[in-house]
Amino acid sequence: MTTMRKILFRSSLAGAALAALLLLPAAPALANAGATSAAVPLRDAEKSPLVSTEWLEKNIDSRKLRIVEVSVDPGVYERGHIPGAHTVAWHTDLVETVSRDIAGPEKFAALARRLGVDRDTTVVLYGDNNNWFAAWGAWVFAQYGLVDNVKLLDGGRKKWEAEKRPLDTRTPEVAASKFSVTPASTALRARFGDVLAVARKEKDEKILDIRSPDEFAGKIIAPAGVPELAVRAGHIPGSVNVPWGKAVNPDGTLKSVEELKKLYAEAGIDGSKPVITSCRIGERSSHSWFVLSRVLGYPARNYDGSWTEYGNAVGVPVVNLAGTVWGGK
Amino acid sequence: MTLSAAVATAAPAGAGARAGLSLALAAVLATGAWHLSGEAGGSRLALSLVFGALFGFVLQRSRFCFLCVWRDFLDQGDPRGVLGILAALAAGMAGYAVVFGAWLPDPSGTRLPPGAHIGPVGPVLALAGLAFGAGMAVSGSCLSAHLYRLGEGSPTAPFALLGAALGFVLGFLTWNPLYLAGIAEAPVTWLPRHLGYGGSLVAGLAVLAGLALWLLRRWPPPPRSSAAVLDPLHAVFVARWPTWLGGLAVGAIGTLAYLRLGPLGVTTEIGGRSRQGAAALGLLPERLEGLDGFRGCATALRDGLLTPNGLFVGGLVVASFAAALAAGQFRPARPGRGHVLRGLSGGLLLGWGAMTGLGCSIGTLLSGIMAGALSGWVFGIAMLVGITVTLRLGRRLGLSA
Repeated sequence: MTTMRKILFRSSLAGAALAALLLLPAAPALANAGATSAAVPLRDAEKSPLVSTEWLEKNIDSRKLRIVEVSVDPGVYERGHIPGAHTVAWHTDLVETVSRDIAGPEKFAALARRLGVDRDTTVVLYGDNNNWFAAWGAWVFAQYGLVDNVKLLDGGRKKWEAEKRPLDTRTPEVAASKFSVTPASTALRARFGDVLAVARKEKDEKILDIRSPDEFAGKIIAPAGVPELAVRAGHIPGSVNVPWGKAVNPDGTLKSVEELKKLYAEAGIDGSKPVITSCRIGERSSHSWFVLSRVLGYPARNYDGSWTEYGNAVGVPVVNLAGTVWGGK
Repeated sequence: MTLSAAVATAAPAGAGARAGLSLALAAVLATGAWHLSGEAGGSRLALSLVFGALFGFVLQRSRFCFLCVWRDFLDQGDPRGVLGILAALAAGMAGYAVVFGAWLPDPSGTRLPPGAHIGPVGPVLALAGLAFGAGMAVSGSCLSAHLYRLGEGSPTAPFALLGAALGFVLGFLTWNPLYLAGIAEAPVTWLPRHLGYGGSLVAGLAVLAGLALWLLRRWPPPPRSSAAVLDPLHAVFVARWPTWLGGLAVGAIGTLAYLRLGPLGVTTEIGGRSRQGAAALGLLPERLEGLDGFRGCATALRDGLLTPNGLFVGGLVVASFAAALAAGQFRPARPGRGHVLRGLSGGLLLGWGAMTGLGCSIGTLLSGIMAGALSGWVFGIAMLVGITVTLRLGRRLGLSA
């Protein structure tokens, strides 16, 4: 059964009833989610921000479902992806390539049209590296109003592969949608001024820095081998450090809601105050943004300027626990 | 080396022991691949080892050596080897076009197919090709052939590879000024973007066919050997394969490797390890401008002990050793001063050329032309000019035979 054939079959069949049947998570899934919501994040349910690999494989042919891979490593998608999945290159499709910004309204609308995404399409994002860039994708999608219908595949590529589920190397074709150009919402994005206000204690918000403890302490400016750097090391005053990976189980799935709540509560983040997530360039922090905002329902914004903006800024307060001070040799 | 010589040295004496040792080496490779494939994320490594071994076997069996076949043509008017290279290019071009069509249905946009060796085209690339060709003429073969000759016990190959590692370091040292002067703004030309996949494939095959027709003017070639080989085992494991057969196999391995792992190339590991070593010794510039953003045999710093390209090269050397043993073509020789000097100096040119050209005759030329990259053609032409001029100069000066 080929993807092309599937598409032809689907389009030739006026299968509204079939589609509805396939799209709506089956009753057992709903019941399951209801029964276990106290222990694990809602998975598979219509309103859940996460879908399981099992659910995805069952619903893979659904008409109103679009599967999109956002991976970091080039060639990963092409050498085998979830059947029917489209690919989005985060470093060209989701950002402006000359100035530093998320994709502008025109560019994003063109992308959504190419993917055949309308405002009522369910989009399941997944990718390599524990869904880092899939989560970044979800954050960009959310700023253009695609929030509740955009889900992450729990466990991402890693779990799908580990379970030896099928992969495909062909690129699917879909009819373009008529997604309209709308300005990006500013509610989910923190800007330099917002963060500086927290650092200067002018605003009572939390900053969650998800970089490694060594970066947070200022022992190193950035992990070895990355090109984006800052002139100073350390962190934004008032931020707390919970490395992003602590939210993830060894198999790549997110921890249960209880575990996640506990993890962040230990760092003083309980949803009672707005949270700003931050890292080095704002991508990994969108993973934690997704967890806080979509899974736990906390008021959260992502600061995509992150340390490469703040650590390069002139005249801002910096905490450097490691005592690595600027100077010549 | 002639076929009759190969057959003569494969005399029955010790043939059983050699075949046994070859089988043992094949078993080592198979066990290694099996062991790797059982580890988490190890299937890529295992496949690299297997493809490397297949590639090494094919190179050794068909004497797939760019310098040798070009010299056969120049000196003896024998076009068969060069036709074999053309066969590899044609098969690979067709294979790549099939893969590209599935991965990137529309080639006309700004995207390039993932990982394909499509590099910047400019005077620096031509210079790299010239140097690489000169290095081939001086050291006696290109880098891939030195690797398979390592398995044949060549006295030059170890020094050529050492020289190449030094050449890579030299390449890193000259990279920044060359990048700013002639690479940063050089166009990265991908033919399918302008001609479409069908157009690019037809144009490429037409060029290859034209070259083949031109080469066939010299037909029939001088007879190589009159010994007709009828025994299939002998034909596969002892007698030299015709280069066209090796070429078709190289085209197939190139396509399959690209489908599953990445384009064929043998210098990523050598370059990466040289960069690691030179960086540890503090010999490198603080920053190599733009280098890691380019396609080709990228020389990014290695992090793991086992890398896909390292295993590919390892498999290549072990398999060619096994193949040479079985065929009675493993003839280790004590290196003389000439071997050391020619190996080191030729290797230096090979390494510099491969670093600056972002790959060698396999990575930039073969994988590039298969991918429809103009850079592959430019590197190839410059390389042939480099070989021819250096060979003629060497002979005029009485330095080489």
